[in-house]
Amino acid sequence: MPRQANAVDFWRGFALVTIFINHIPGIFYERLTHRNFSISDSADLFVFLAGWSLRLLVGNPDRASPAYLVVRLGGRALQIYAAQILIIAIAIGMLAAAAVLLGNPLLLEWHNAAAVFYDPVPTHVGLAILTHHLGYFDILPLYVVLMLMAPAVALIDRYARWLLLPLSLAVYFAALGFRVTLPSWPVQGEWFFNPIAWQVVFMLGFVLARSDGAGGFARRNIAWLRIVSVPIVIAGALVIWNDWWPDPTKVPHPTLFFIQSKSYVTPMRLVQFLALIALFSATYPYIRRAAPGLVEFLSLLGRNSLNVFCVASLLGLGGQIVRFIYRGGIVADTAVLAAGIAMLALTAWLSEWRDRNKAPRAAVNSPA
Amino acid sequence: MARSEQGTAGRGQFAGVIRAMGALAAAGLAMAAGLLGALAGEAAAQSQPPALTRECTAPGTSTATESPLPNVAAALRRKKRIKILAIGAASTAGMGNVRGGYQALMLKMIKEAAKGVEVEIINRGVSGELAEQAAQRLKIQVGLTTPDLVLWQVGTNDALSYVEVERVEHAVTDTVRWLKEHKVDVVLVGLQYVSGMARDSHYQAVRVALRRIAQQENVIIVRRYEAMEILERAQRAEPGAAVDEFSASETAYGCMAQYVARAISVALFGRNLTPTPSPP
Repeated sequence: MPRQANAVDFWRGFALVTIFINHIPGIFYERLTHRNFSISDSADLFVFLAGWSLRLLVGNPDRASPAYLVVRLGGRALQIYAAQILIIAIAIGMLAAAAVLLGNPLLLEWHNAAAVFYDPVPTHVGLAILTHHLGYFDILPLYVVLMLMAPAVALIDRYARWLLLPLSLAVYFAALGFRVTLPSWPVQGEWFFNPIAWQVVFMLGFVLARSDGAGGFARRNIAWLRIVSVPIVIAGALVIWNDWWPDPTKVPHPTLFFIQSKSYVTPMRLVQFLALIALFSATYPYIRRAAPGLVEFLSLLGRNSLNVFCVASLLGLGGQIVRFIYRGGIVADTAVLAAGIAMLALTAWLSEWRDRNKAPRAAVNSPA
Repeated sequence: MARSEQGTAGRGQFAGVIRAMGALAAAGLAMAAGLLGALAGEAAAQSQPPALTRECTAPGTSTATESPLPNVAAALRRKKRIKILAIGAASTAGMGNVRGGYQALMLKMIKEAAKGVEVEIINRGVSGELAEQAAQRLKIQVGLTTPDLVLWQVGTNDALSYVEVERVEHAVTDTVRWLKEHKVDVVLVGLQYVSGMARDSHYQAVRVALRRIAQQENVIIVRRYEAMEILERAQRAEPGAAVDEFSASETAYGCMAQYVARAISVALFGRNLTPTPSPP
């Protein structure tokens, strides 16, 4: 039986839908997502909740052996890697098919795909080792790296819990201070989502999911944390609406401490994100009462997040191609949105249907 | 809806054109490098910008507007070193056997020819992003890398995503002015020529808007669309010619490298190297 709808699955479903929309640049509905009033966006929420879910995956620390944790979490990293390779292969096929059918070579260059078609030998190596990313297909490589770190995280959490957050913050500030990131290859550049910086979002999710430590502190003091969050969230919205970004050439060093960068999830963005979740986490009970159907729906998506995320990425690309064919417009945008969300729901439903059918068969096959 | 006039074409033709363009790019860049060397005082004999290779020469059209690059010139005089930040969806796909594509080729040739001038190209292209997002990231990268010149390939994603032309124009204009205020030169690289987009009004509107911005702000725009359009027409006019759109697209990258190098060269020979005043 799938688990009951809950806040984590609900917000994860919310993040998945907004990621799908934000991955179709130019779509009308893009202007309705929360990044239009928030410095952080659905990517922050997705990674934070991935960290939160890692807590659930690790489970009761007294039960699982260290070896079990390493194998289980390593297996999860492998699963995400496999998902990335699969969707990249399909995405390349989609771009190639669209370019050929429409007779338009420009489509081969969309989203960093040009190197795949015009310099395939090293680029295929880059795809396999995750150093070459297609545009809008760059979150899962981050997730793979985070899950590769997960066994160490789980072990530190077990044996030196107090060390986890300071260590994560130290790595984060070192990444910002010394501009440490992972390079892309063969196309020169950097990872769009720098894992060395973004690990802090993942780790915060993991740490805050605990009912003690930092998580316990947040729960005990959530009322005043929300009060503090209000001006931060308002200030973030004002920055967005008025374009009040700090001038990157005029801030003190280290520059990344004082500017807004998504790649490095800089402090300005991180603080605004924490304020946003402190504030909006209060709304879940009200949403559940007011719109139980919506909560069930988004929780369905959130429960099956990896499958839904993969399909959302491909639908996002498909949506872009459809918009290109029909030259955008509100009708095409609405059709893309409606069809896309329906497909996401179908993906989640099929995932649970498959699990439901697997369970009785497993019971039949297992010895009494 | 239908934007295909060429249909599917053989891939072999593409590769051939790419290689040809790579060679052309190399030649053009070498010439540009010679110019840079001259500016550094070590190749004073060169006083003309490099000619384009035959494959990239589009008769009757200029491949770039001519505008000064005062900050690059000043950097060369001061430190014999220039730093170029490449932003946008610029592909660095390989051309022929050159790894790293047109930027690597450009860098290599400039270094070979312009002895004593250190040239660094920092590629921070992120594919898929619109002009508005690229503008924000561009400013961050200027703060982090302190370039003398920004090479900004812009507009293609906005055109393909049917983003309103006004939004593109606003983002690009605002950013060009910001760069001027911060004493960073900019070379815009305009849209690519694809015959299937020749009648696409939105694509053309974005192209014209970029040219208008370059003219108004007195910055260089590399007009590869116009050049490649003429080249393709000339190719089609040849008896028995079969133009492969896909290979032409690859070829365009080789020529783009030449056009960019030439534009920089022409600007640095400059008759007017005083900084362009920012618009009020």
